[in-house]
Amino acid sequence: MGTAQSPFNALPIHHAAQTSLHTARLLLIEDDAETAEDIVSDFGARGYAVVHVANGLEGLSQARANDYTLVIVDRMLPGLDGLSILETLRREHFQFPVLVLSALGDVDNRVRGLKAGGDDYLTKPFAFAELAARVEALLRRPGVTRETTLRAGPLEMDLIDRKVCRGERSIDLLPREFKLLEFLVRRPGQVMTRAMLLEDVWNYRFLSETNLVDVHIGKLRRKIDAPGETPMIHTIRGTGFMLCVPA
Amino acid sequence: MFRTSTFRLTVIFSATFALSTLLLFAFIYWQTTVVETERVNAALVRDADAIANAPPLEILRSVTIRLAADFHRVTYASLFTVNGHPLAGNLDRLPEGVPLDGRAHRTNIVMPESGGSNREVVMVVARRLANGQLLVLGRSIDSLDNLRAVVMRALEEGGTPMVLLSLLAGAILSRRAQRQIKSVHLAAERIMRGNLQERLPVRGNADDFGRLTNSVNHLLDEIERLVEEAKNTTDNIAHDLRTPLTRVRSRLERARETAQTRAELEEMVDRAIVSLDQTLRIITALLRISQLEDGRRRAAFSMVDLKTIVQEIGDLYEPFAEENDVRFSIEAQDITAVLGDPDLLSEAIANIVDNAIKFTPAGGWVRLSVEQNGRIPAITVTDSGPGIPSEEREAVMRRLYRSDKSRHIDGCGLGLSLVDAIIKLHDFRLVIKDGDAGIGCVFQLTCGRSQ
Repeated sequence: MGTAQSPFNALPIHHAAQTSLHTARLLLIEDDAETAEDIVSDFGARGYAVVHVANGLEGLSQARANDYTLVIVDRMLPGLDGLSILETLRREHFQFPVLVLSALGDVDNRVRGLKAGGDDYLTKPFAFAELAARVEALLRRPGVTRETTLRAGPLEMDLIDRKVCRGERSIDLLPREFKLLEFLVRRPGQVMTRAMLLEDVWNYRFLSETNLVDVHIGKLRRKIDAPGETPMIHTIRGTGFMLCVPA
Repeated sequence: MFRTSTFRLTVIFSATFALSTLLLFAFIYWQTTVVETERVNAALVRDADAIANAPPLEILRSVTIRLAADFHRVTYASLFTVNGHPLAGNLDRLPEGVPLDGRAHRTNIVMPESGGSNREVVMVVARRLANGQLLVLGRSIDSLDNLRAVVMRALEEGGTPMVLLSLLAGAILSRRAQRQIKSVHLAAERIMRGNLQERLPVRGNADDFGRLTNSVNHLLDEIERLVEEAKNTTDNIAHDLRTPLTRVRSRLERARETAQTRAELEEMVDRAIVSLDQTLRIITALLRISQLEDGRRRAAFSMVDLKTIVQEIGDLYEPFAEENDVRFSIEAQDITAVLGDPDLLSEAIANIVDNAIKFTPAGGWVRLSVEQNGRIPAITVTDSGPGIPSEEREAVMRRLYRSDKSRHIDGCGLGLSLVDAIIKLHDFRLVIKDGDAGIGCVFQLTCGRSQ
């Protein structure tokens, strides 16, 4: 199994994932030259193909004309604003995931972005690791399944009975620990930032300085990764956490 | 000066004054000329009737008595023959131009003694008696006429001075008012140019201007306080931003010089990034507080279930409390929904809980509860920590405040001022109290206006 190290962070990219990343075509509609440049080079280094457009109208026609896997669009754009582009694309039945970028000054923020058809929403300033993790999460979104059991290597989660076991060992989890584990297990090999976990598991939108998520992960890890077992829950320094299926 | 409102006001006042004085004069005029004269006339006609209907022997007597009783020498009474020759009374001939109809008429009578110079204005009633004789009764209305003339003259001669006087008074008053306003205006300009300590001069009188001046001075007190606070805040912010940035700089410098391996370099760069993140958080928090304070987010409010939020926050913080060896308990009742922003309210409550856990020493406890207080839900966070002294309770909400006791705790001092901004936005109330028996601290959030 090949793992590649990107030069800019310690994110191990699984081979299977690498394929999907390499076939992904991203469109970035962003008028701030410096931000755009940083995003393009960062994502380029991670192996994505990124097309950058600085004008709203141009961005809309690009999105229509070519086949993109994901679009990143800023709200404030010359020509046509981001949310209008998004609404138009949705009306025209484009289904690709869209991540909306916005500056702090917007009032209704996230809700409006999501209502307009966006899939995720990030306010500036953001860490590029955050953007990358969210883009990856959108590209590799788990499909809706009707499975009642989730499996990841030796881990097995019974969604009906809310029971977990690793191999032969049955693990006793609190409801919130179960919810957290389920979230990680559905996205193996993807980095989950603290912000993403707070939003999706706890419905909490603001990052606190306190390392709340770390503490939760720590408790979960003590239950899931018993001494002697291959660790499955990894901390990715500078970014977040990831569940990896042992080889 | 003429365009000022004070001048216009005094012109209106003068005009009203002049008009009412005019009306007064008109009333006096009317009373003297019309009403009095009517009274005299009616009396004359009545008396003439009475005398005419008296027995013949009485008639002469009545005329005589009438004249005898005339102390003021205003009465005229005479009897004339059928042909108009005087029989009795004080008239030597029939008054000119007076018809014999028994009704009152106005005429002039010249008294014989005066030799033609003493003319009087008289109301006269003349009628033919049953026996053919002519009866004339009259009453002088000279005095009334004089009074009327006086009134007219007063009006003519006094009218103009009166108008001028009222205009002058108006001008003087308006100038006084103008000067007061101007002094306020000039003081305001001086203050705006930067002299915030100045206040408007207040004279002893408690009139409207005095009250206005006092209000403006209070306003200036408040402005001075706010500017001072803003300045302190800016100083604090600058200091609190410079510290981590300086750390970053020195770390990066050191990293450049001392790191031997790439791993070492990476580690130092990571630490620098942590400090930069801290700085960014401070800036973001400040911007958010400022944004919250302008109230725009109210437009996006919806109905919020605080019980769910409290339970989620309890869930979120439980392991953290456990790690700090703090017993964390959550009590949630069913409560009514409130209007607000669920994300902001979560954040506010989380901040208070976060503080409580951090500041409670190991072995202590924190309790988070939500209950219905009458018609309004209330959220309470109680801890067994050192508490906040009452003098500091207000200051604690201010940006970047850190009491001496808390300087060793991590984090920037913006959490509670963010809470304060969120609470103000929602029009809720936050009270900080001592815990029971003086132990610990109680943060009580009342989610609505208490009745």
